[in-house]
Amino acid sequence: MVQKTEAVTNAMLKMALDAASLNHQAIANNIANINTQGYAPVRVSFEEQMDSIRETLEEGGKVKSDMLSGIQPVLVRGQPLVGDGDRTTELDMETAKLAENTVHYEALLKVVGMRMSMVNSAIREGK
Amino acid sequence: MDYRNAFAISASGMSVEKLRLDVTAANLANIHSGKKVDGTMFQPMQVISGEAQAGFSTQFEQLSGAELHGAQVVGVTTTPTEPHMVYQPGNPDADDKGFVTETGVNQVTEMVNMASALRAYEANVVAMNAAKTMALKALELGGS
Repeated sequence: MVQKTEAVTNAMLKMALDAASLNHQAIANNIANINTQGYAPVRVSFEEQMDSIRETLEEGGKVKSDMLSGIQPVLVRGQPLVGDGDRTTELDMETAKLAENTVHYEALLKVVGMRMSMVNSAIREGK
Repeated sequence: MDYRNAFAISASGMSVEKLRLDVTAANLANIHSGKKVDGTMFQPMQVISGEAQAGFSTQFEQLSGAELHGAQVVGVTTTPTEPHMVYQPGNPDADDKGFVTETGVNQVTEMVNMASALRAYEANVVAMNAAKTMALKALELGGS
């Protein structure tokens, strides 16, 4: 029983970490192409896919592992911005997203670490 | 976290911006150059960069979702500019009115390009440092 509920949370954490890692690559790619003409910025689609799970939790329901089956972080290619000059991505926005993503990734790691220490405490019979 | 790809992406951006800086330096170094030995004028150069595409060997990696490769240099082009005339009657290259032709390197344009390349380079360094922080934090998992 414990294993089944743990598995869903672990799977979600793993996917969220993968999404944050992919998000970092997308932002790094946008920054690397900051002076590329006609570049279409990439972003990661993940959190909007979790909407159904969030709704289930808000309604007091339980998340089943089959609800996660279709969810996967994917890269989405945006439209090339047509602005003044050749700048297609905004450096300050990308840097802000980068900082946010790093904090988000570290927060996720903290949760994983706390879950690990919980299991560890169970193994040591709470001592 | 596949930090190798994150590092590779930022490194590609850094190398593109470094070339941009080198080219700007070359343009500025030639700001007062007259005619070359073969009679042609120095033309200011410009780096054209594009998004890096997957090479043949990395096509397979796309199956695992790694399809970002950063930036790459497409080419370095010369921009034809009008040379300007400087009055230097003592110069052996001067024409009969005492004018010497110099390259049309625009100092303001070059300085702006240099500042922009420098900032872009720094942004890539920041991205690489963030990847390093994330990877090191992940290594701490289960440590204590």
